[in-house]
Amino acid sequence: MQFRLIIDGYRNAFENMALDEAMLLNGIPTLRLYKWRPSAISIGYFQSIEEEVNLEECKKQGVDVVRRITGGGAVYHDENGEITYSFVCPENFLPKNILESYKIICSSLANALKILGLKAKHAGINDIIVNGRKISGSAQTRKKGSILQHGTLLLSVDVKKMFSLLRVGKEKISDKEIKAVEDRVTSVERELGKINEEEIINAMIKGFKKTMKIEFCEGKFDKKELKMAEKLRRKYESKEWNFKR
Amino acid sequence: MKVKNGILRGSLKVKGGKLIKCMIKLKEGKIKEIKISGDFFMHPEEKIEGLEKALKGVEFEKESIEEKLNEILRDVELVGIDKEDFINVIFSASPVNSNFS
Repeated sequence: MQFRLIIDGYRNAFENMALDEAMLLNGIPTLRLYKWRPSAISIGYFQSIEEEVNLEECKKQGVDVVRRITGGGAVYHDENGEITYSFVCPENFLPKNILESYKIICSSLANALKILGLKAKHAGINDIIVNGRKISGSAQTRKKGSILQHGTLLLSVDVKKMFSLLRVGKEKISDKEIKAVEDRVTSVERELGKINEEEIINAMIKGFKKTMKIEFCEGKFDKKELKMAEKLRRKYESKEWNFKR
Repeated sequence: MKVKNGILRGSLKVKGGKLIKCMIKLKEGKIKEIKISGDFFMHPEEKIEGLEKALKGVEFEKESIEEKLNEILRDVELVGIDKEDFINVIFSASPVNSNFS
């Protein structure tokens, strides 16, 4: 099966989420790779923004906050620390069972990391781990006969910054607690040192291609998607959406 | 004594690590408003709003709530949590202040 490949670069949080949703509603099988500028926090569909995010600190640090259409937890997307993927396909391309479909998409990303020389594997519902530490998390939704799964690949981590933006139940986080999280997460940089981003992107493409036995043709958003995304962006910027729970 | 009025909050860490929270406003022993939040997955997502709406006006006791949950969650797929966790978080909730009216 032929998939569209969009290597998208930087956009802000609201555009990123609007484009992912527009891609899902439009239904063209696609792998999109993107980044976030400014850095942002995305929260899961069911999360309470005020309980999860230190909004004052986000404002101070110029970090945007957006609610996703997918469930799962709050994620800090650092503009230099992450490559994000979104994958859209028809529902019948993957197993009906949600856990099984996570497995296939997450394995594609794990295989990409293997190409880079890492011992990566899919763990839990939606995580990828390297040497027992989390390097990627994903979330999935299904609408209008299509599946959207988006997720992160950590290039580098700044746990201290992440904790300053997320509410973790305490006002001050101790060095010991920061260390504990640093022990549970890892990044491409931590495992391999600084490597060329193009190399990582090529490995991601190859990982999806080999695992799913699909072909890619580089393309761009179509007019319909861009029009939808423009409208959806306003939703993602709105208080009504972001503060709805 | 059973709480009949006021605001209750509950939070539950489920097996597998997902967190589910709830806020319940009670009036005369019935649910006036309920919000369920957390980092779980539910397909389709919008059903959570349907569930919260359906629970409005329902007697704050297990049988009535369970009946509504069964009805609304019939076509819903939960990932990372199950139906029992909704019940458990709702009944783990406790009053957040003592200024009940």
